Amino acid sequence: MEFRYHRPATVADACALGQRLGAGAAFLAGGTELVPDYQRGRETAGDLIALAGIPGLRGIESGGDTLRIGSLTTVADVARSPLVARWLPALAEAARALGSPAIRNRATVGGNFCRAVSCADLPPAALVAGARLRIATPGGARDVAAAEFFVGARRTVLGPGELLTDLLLPAPPAGRGTRFERFSLRRGMALAVASVAARLDVERGVIAGAAIALGAVAPTPMLVPEAAELLRGGRPSAALFERAAEVCAAASLPIGDVRGSAGHRRRVVRVLVRRALERAAARATTEGPVS
Amino acid sequence: MSDERLVRLTVNGEPRTLAVKPATTLVSLLRDQLDLTGTKRACGTGDCGACTVQIDGQAAASCLTLAVDVDGSEITTVEGLAQGGELHPLQKAFVKHGALQCGYCTGGALMSAKALIDGTPDPSRDEIAEALSGNLCRCGTYPRMVQAVEHWRDFAGAPLDTEPHDAAERDQSRDHRTVGRGVPRYDGPDKVTGRARYTADLRLPGTLVGRILGSPVAHGVVRRVDASRARAVPGVLAVLTGADVPATRYGVSPAREDEQILATDRVRYVGDEIAAVAAVDDETARRALALIDVEIDELPAVFDAEAAMAPGAPLVHPEHPRYAGNVNTRVDWSFGDVDAGFAAADLVREQRFVGNRTYQSPIEPHAALAQWEPHAGRLTVWSSTQTPHYLHRSLSRTLGVPMGQIRVIRPPVGGGFGAKAEATPLEFCAALLARATGRPVRMEYSREEMFRHFRGRHKQYIDLKIGVKRDGTITAVDQRVVLDGGAYTSFGVITAYYAGSMLPVLYKMPAYRYEGRRIYTNLPASGAFRGHGVPQPRFAFESLLDMIAEDLGLDPIDVRLRNAMTPDTRTVNALDVSSCEFTATLARAREASGWDAKRGRLGAGRGIGVGCGGFVSGAGYPIYRSSFPHSNALIRVHEDGTGVSLHILASDIGQGSDTVLVQMAAEELGVPYDWVWMAECDTVLAPLDLGSYSSRVTLMGGHAVQDAARRVKGQLFEVAAGELGCAPADLEARNARIYDRARPDVAMDWAAAARLAFGKNGPVVGLGSYTPPADLGGGFKGSTVGTSPAYSFSTVIAEVTVDLETGFVQVDRVTDFSDAGTVINPVTFHGQVEGSIVMGLGETLLEDTVAGPGGQFVNPNLHDYLIPTIRDTPEIRSVAVESYEPRGPFGAKEIGEGSLVPVLGAIANAVYDACGVRVTELPITPEKILAGLARRRDRGVPPAAASVEPESETHAQTV
Repeated sequence: MEFRYHRPATVADACALGQRLGAGAAFLAGGTELVPDYQRGRETAGDLIALAGIPGLRGIESGGDTLRIGSLTTVADVARSPLVARWLPALAEAARALGSPAIRNRATVGGNFCRAVSCADLPPAALVAGARLRIATPGGARDVAAAEFFVGARRTVLGPGELLTDLLLPAPPAGRGTRFERFSLRRGMALAVASVAARLDVERGVIAGAAIALGAVAPTPMLVPEAAELLRGGRPSAALFERAAEVCAAASLPIGDVRGSAGHRRRVVRVLVRRALERAAARATTEGPVS
Repeated sequence: MSDERLVRLTVNGEPRTLAVKPATTLVSLLRDQLDLTGTKRACGTGDCGACTVQIDGQAAASCLTLAVDVDGSEITTVEGLAQGGELHPLQKAFVKHGALQCGYCTGGALMSAKALIDGTPDPSRDEIAEALSGNLCRCGTYPRMVQAVEHWRDFAGAPLDTEPHDAAERDQSRDHRTVGRGVPRYDGPDKVTGRARYTADLRLPGTLVGRILGSPVAHGVVRRVDASRARAVPGVLAVLTGADVPATRYGVSPAREDEQILATDRVRYVGDEIAAVAAVDDETARRALALIDVEIDELPAVFDAEAAMAPGAPLVHPEHPRYAGNVNTRVDWSFGDVDAGFAAADLVREQRFVGNRTYQSPIEPHAALAQWEPHAGRLTVWSSTQTPHYLHRSLSRTLGVPMGQIRVIRPPVGGGFGAKAEATPLEFCAALLARATGRPVRMEYSREEMFRHFRGRHKQYIDLKIGVKRDGTITAVDQRVVLDGGAYTSFGVITAYYAGSMLPVLYKMPAYRYEGRRIYTNLPASGAFRGHGVPQPRFAFESLLDMIAEDLGLDPIDVRLRNAMTPDTRTVNALDVSSCEFTATLARAREASGWDAKRGRLGAGRGIGVGCGGFVSGAGYPIYRSSFPHSNALIRVHEDGTGVSLHILASDIGQGSDTVLVQMAAEELGVPYDWVWMAECDTVLAPLDLGSYSSRVTLMGGHAVQDAARRVKGQLFEVAAGELGCAPADLEARNARIYDRARPDVAMDWAAAARLAFGKNGPVVGLGSYTPPADLGGGFKGSTVGTSPAYSFSTVIAEVTVDLETGFVQVDRVTDFSDAGTVINPVTFHGQVEGSIVMGLGETLLEDTVAGPGGQFVNPNLHDYLIPTIRDTPEIRSVAVESYEPRGPFGAKEIGEGSLVPVLGAIANAVYDACGVRVTELPITPEKILAGLARRRDRGVPPAAASVEPESETHAQTV
């Protein structure tokens, strides 16, 4: 583990530094993935641009129709935020499922997205909510849809000098229910073997909008538009949810590894999708509008 | 790139300005720059929690935190918990509740708990479990951690004394005894304050760091090792290759010494040692390793024991004709008329079972520190070993230095479970590097190197056949076992015998045949793991017994009762059982668990199962042929008579043996527990003891201590008798008084008698020893393995919930009734049982090392090799069924290993009760359960008859 350490004081400086140092540099937030990646030889950046000295990147605030979560906000902050619990319960559930307290206290929202591992816990909830990610670039800011952020295993749209600054959540309409479900091999502190986030917007008993995102079963977190399509216009029912679950299992692209075979992951995806939809539907119909 | 930066931190309330390199992690800063070694580095990847500290009040993994990145923060470590010399109530709660064993995770767990109570002073049990969910404890103290945190407030303002926490024990008259009381651990205060110095925490001036280069391939001939580039690295002081070290082969088994310190000609597994480096720091040592040029002609390798037995398979030790067919050990036993036994049976069932290659995963990585005295040519080695004597002897034989010139010291050990029961390349290389450089050398395994060195459980392929009468009476048993031994012998000869010898201890059987084959493969060597060879055959037996009970329409507990071992019985393989309350453990566990009301009636997905076990209380014979006593102790009375030192080379590796030995010393001497000092475990200070393996310390070490104490007492009685005007034989010692048994008021202070004895005769010293009974065993080949002065027995009943859609198994509740003879300390006793249940749960449901196509483990870390967390821990009820073992000190037997043995079968049987799926290959993963459920649906068979053969979906390597 050898690198030069930089500690810019502003986002603009961080971006400029990132652009100057190019692909051999990495941003350092909580370090909970980056530091072990160094230990395992998976990360080799010769320059680390620490973000800890930049004010304003940590915090959760609602501004009318958007909830802004700064990229240096810790996963623990998200897990205990009443705002997140109201705006996107699935995201709060995902944050609570991640790691252990000692990890959640350091791990950041930005890190969870930018390290872009397929089993990251936060992205699926952001995907189903139609979240946007705000990216500071040397030339100014740009927004991308969360769904377009990931381009491959451990790869995102970010180029050198581009820094994720905010996760932006749109206000949930009345009748929205979301849910995060996850399967791992033990109950305490374990990576997801498969995870699912589901959103249902129910109007007068009919599903007006839906989204399902899967984690850990493809190179990137992924939406399953076919399943959303199938759900839209239908009425919540066990049969409908089971069909959507089948579609998701078929659409998933899992690998087999030491945590489970591809076949088992597919079977689990199907179960998790059905359970997530059932719970999301219950929330959409009985727990009332959330904002 | 050593551009150091200044960081300002407040550490445990003290402002500090420190120069650090960018890559310095907070754990390194604390340990290496501030000497705060209570924060442990045990995995380096944030998976274990041993390095947890508070950063600005929040729990954080200090191994994942760069020191430069927390500039300006306030850091609290375990050393900062005590205030003004007064322990924090949490620390006292941990000691009093027995919430620690080896202590290596304790500092981290305390810091997680502290961060919790800072924000939530009265946490719920669920909040406690979540707060500690990232703190792995391999000793399994989780239930006690929950209790301690739940009740931390009770300890505010209360002094930390040595009284038991349990009110019933506290209220007993002190007259009663020290033995039998749950006094707090002897080493508790040191371990909750971070004051205990483990091997990796020791600092000697000028210490170098050593590292070992392992083979990158599983099998090959070493053509060339060129270390010239590594030697040229600034800061590298020595590089050793096979040519530079003694060629002596070493190993646990005298007849099969097949290991080399560093390979000279052949490497046999990925990680086999090739070269060793000593450098000024770890980073330099690692850089040097990468610059050692190694040329190896790769050879075909074999990674499966059954494949290795096939004709034409690559030979792992081709130079030795005795290992033809890769057979390392061969056992062929037959007792009674086996064929007649099966012929007389009403039902014969046969089944194949396959075990898993589990790893002990102690939280403390192996560590060694070596230093020579150049003027005298003498060597001192500090090591995290379970067996200082065997290490001492191995060092002597391998280095060619007389034992008298070598001093072995065992600092506190952070768990072993068998992984640290033999000498490792660390100790040899540290000694040789220290000699080459003239400086002390410290070496530690990384977590990955621990897995590579291994010595974990043998994966066993078990073909088991049991014949029974209609009423369940066993008529004959036939067991064939193939053990995957890996590349070297290690403890494997003994493992192969144990795998067969313990089956007849638990159930009576008139005829028994056992065929064992331990096979070499190109994987890391398997060795002795808690329960040594026994848990997997026992899992097989308990599973098959349940299948038979079902066939016969009998209750599984009734079948066990029908065949249960009885006291004072010689088994079919000539083992002598004396005390035995097995039947009582079955009957009482049945009642306490609500078995009759629950079995088969818990509803879909919920089940209950029983499993049992029996185990040795210490091996009847030593590992190498010798005629000296197995345990020896020395007790010295301090000259003013108010203190006593106990010297014994027995090794507390977390199980609490120091505590029970101190209790036994105090009991026999008649003085309070806190009069006794445990001397450091050091070959210069203490007489020989064979160490911590085969669950021997309580019985054998206890005898030696009791013997030494009696001799001390004899000397005091001699002078006291003169003083009191009676005969020495009339005297009794208790509560620090010596008195005439018949006239208790004719008495004197124990200390006064001790002073008199010192004045008259000089220092009062007692030497004690213990040799097991001479006539143990049947005299046939291998009959020594499995002999023991005594056997423990236990029954475990497990209740589980199976998620029928995902296959996830949760163990809800475990009831354990164990006969371990007289319980010396209820807290350490139950701690061993609880730890075994947690560990057994992991072995049954979670754990397996997986070898990739090249023979390299793909999960050599604690995020892929999952061991149970506090959140996976069931509700546990542990009850002692006391017997009095005539061959044990104070009637005591073992509990440390035997308590693991029943767990696997109990959980497997509970899973079957819950979902009708019989998994015969460990671990019982969600995947295997779903496969079994699918098979059941496909066949349309009723739940009871489903059986799962192992499904072989390929596991690709993790990306």
